Amino acid sequence: MIADAASGVALALRGEGDPYALSRFLRQGDALASAAIRVLGADALAPYALDHRAGPGGEDETVVREALAAFPPKPDASDVSVWSYRGLVEASHAFLPGGANQWPPTPQAGSAWVATDPWPKLAHRVSQLAALALPGLASSLADELTARTDDLARGFVRAVRRRDWLQAAGLGRWLARLPEVPPTLGLDSGLGFVRQMCGGDARVTLHVVAAQRFYGRGW
Amino acid sequence: MVTDRTARIETEALAAEVDGLVEPTEPDGVFRDTRECGAGLLLLGLLLISPPTPRPKTDTR
Amino acid sequence: MVTGGRGDPELLDRLVGDSLGWLDGARASFRLPPNVTTDADPNLTLKPLGELAELTQLIAAAHPRADIRERAAGLFDFAWRETGEGELFAELVRGEPHATYPVEIYGAFAQAGRRHAGVEELVRATTRLRSWRVARDDHTRTLGVLNAERRIGLAPHTDFDAELAQTGLGRLPEPWALDRKAAYGVTHDVFHLTEWGRARRRLSPEHAGYLRLWLPAWLENWLAEQLWDLVGELLAVTACLPAAPYDPVAWQRLADAQAADGSVAEIGDPTRPDDPAEAFTACYHSTLVTAFAGTLARVASDEAAAGVWDGAGAMLTGCIPCESETAP
Repeated sequence: MIADAASGVALALRGEGDPYALSRFLRQGDALASAAIRVLGADALAPYALDHRAGPGGEDETVVREALAAFPPKPDASDVSVWSYRGLVEASHAFLPGGANQWPPTPQAGSAWVATDPWPKLAHRVSQLAALALPGLASSLADELTARTDDLARGFVRAVRRRDWLQAAGLGRWLARLPEVPPTLGLDSGLGFVRQMCGGDARVTLHVVAAQRFYGRGW
Repeated sequence: MVTDRTARIETEALAAEVDGLVEPTEPDGVFRDTRECGAGLLLLGLLLISPPTPRPKTDTR
Repeated sequence: MVTGGRGDPELLDRLVGDSLGWLDGARASFRLPPNVTTDADPNLTLKPLGELAELTQLIAAAHPRADIRERAAGLFDFAWRETGEGELFAELVRGEPHATYPVEIYGAFAQAGRRHAGVEELVRATTRLRSWRVARDDHTRTLGVLNAERRIGLAPHTDFDAELAQTGLGRLPEPWALDRKAAYGVTHDVFHLTEWGRARRRLSPEHAGYLRLWLPAWLENWLAEQLWDLVGELLAVTACLPAAPYDPVAWQRLADAQAADGSVAEIGDPTRPDDPAEAFTACYHSTLVTAFAGTLARVASDEAAAGVWDGAGAMLTGCIPCESETAP
């Protein structure tokens, strides 16, 4: 279900297929659909970041609200879990119509790890937050990550060498958003390489397509 | 397919699954290297001083 | 994670000292058999002895501790004696006049002043041929040959910089596309360019910047694979950088891979094959590389302590003992 939805998002980002509607893939009243939206996070709404926002009063709002209600961060939730939840809330504010009061407030998510994590750990964490690499989302996080661009680039190298395509794609997507990626990394060909090597994995493809569509990197 | 959304255990299991998917553990690295076809290096690290020219098997003196 | 500046001299010296101790005890295995110029496998005879000479000479010249220098010098002298003070190379060149390896290994001795007039007369004849200038299929290896020519005082058979530009260092390949063989290529590009750390200033700012960025990622990968000789080589390259960074975690991992007897296995954990010959083959290379890398890192650490480098990685003061500029 997640893979299908991710494929649908990627297709919409490429401008192919019918106009995107989240609720076409993930219907309301379905716990698994809510789970899938929570896992995809902000990416569930990524196509609306292009130009066409969702129509008012649509079912999309209902399914997102259900997902946010069903899987809120627990009190002991990790920073990644809170950030990912926050990404979905931020995307709802930004891309779905309806007053901000319809949506839960954006929770505070810790980011001390950005400065303190050793680079392999940092890179893995950031790849888990790939869905936040969308225009306008998590801009404070993006600013903080800029200081560790080289370390994230090293994480990309490590992930490709390990054949961890999901991590590599998530990092490549973040690097596409950051302003000073080392040119010798070869980010564009790296994203293209990962896309070809992943064997059609839907979430990997989604990250690569997002990097291309929103930040003009990769192919 | 989860149909009974009040089933607490299933919900908790699903929540755990979501947590796992939101924050997947890092898989073990898969290190696979380019195979040498033909002139294979028989020993690791031979490049320190690369393999010398193969020597004739017959005594040519 | 990576500290700029001072390393851990105590750990580095223990690593180097223990490695040299094992190598000293392994002299019998480095001895050349009577059939060395005929049908012995040169990979199991000449290559180990050539590496021993190449790396112990550097350690004997560069290490700040006199006891370590002395031990390394003893091993270097042993290697020279094993070649019959160079006579071996005359026999090798007459047997295989078009092979590069006798010239390459002789170069390791020649640069330290161990020379043999007959060998030099011979190689002047064999290396002036047009055939010697035919392109070899491995650019990194060609750099090694060029370095040997420079050491012996022969005319370079082709342009070093043009050759370097075609290697895995010169092309600045995508760092994520490096496989094992390419990684060995990059480390040796640096060794040949910098005379095994003796002339580190030959490393251009562009190449140094590339290596500084990506070495940590490569080290991570080959630490995970426990490929200790490559880990050692990557640490040696790291120590060749201006204002060399010091990665305490990587050094500790390499130290943990060293067995109680001082040997470091090529790959995997410190268990050794029972057969002494197999154990030697499995360990001698990594053990030598460990001693070499530890020496370069120690030199870099001393430089950091002495404030030789400014913040931008430029050298402020004079030279370290082994730094020489003998570029052609």
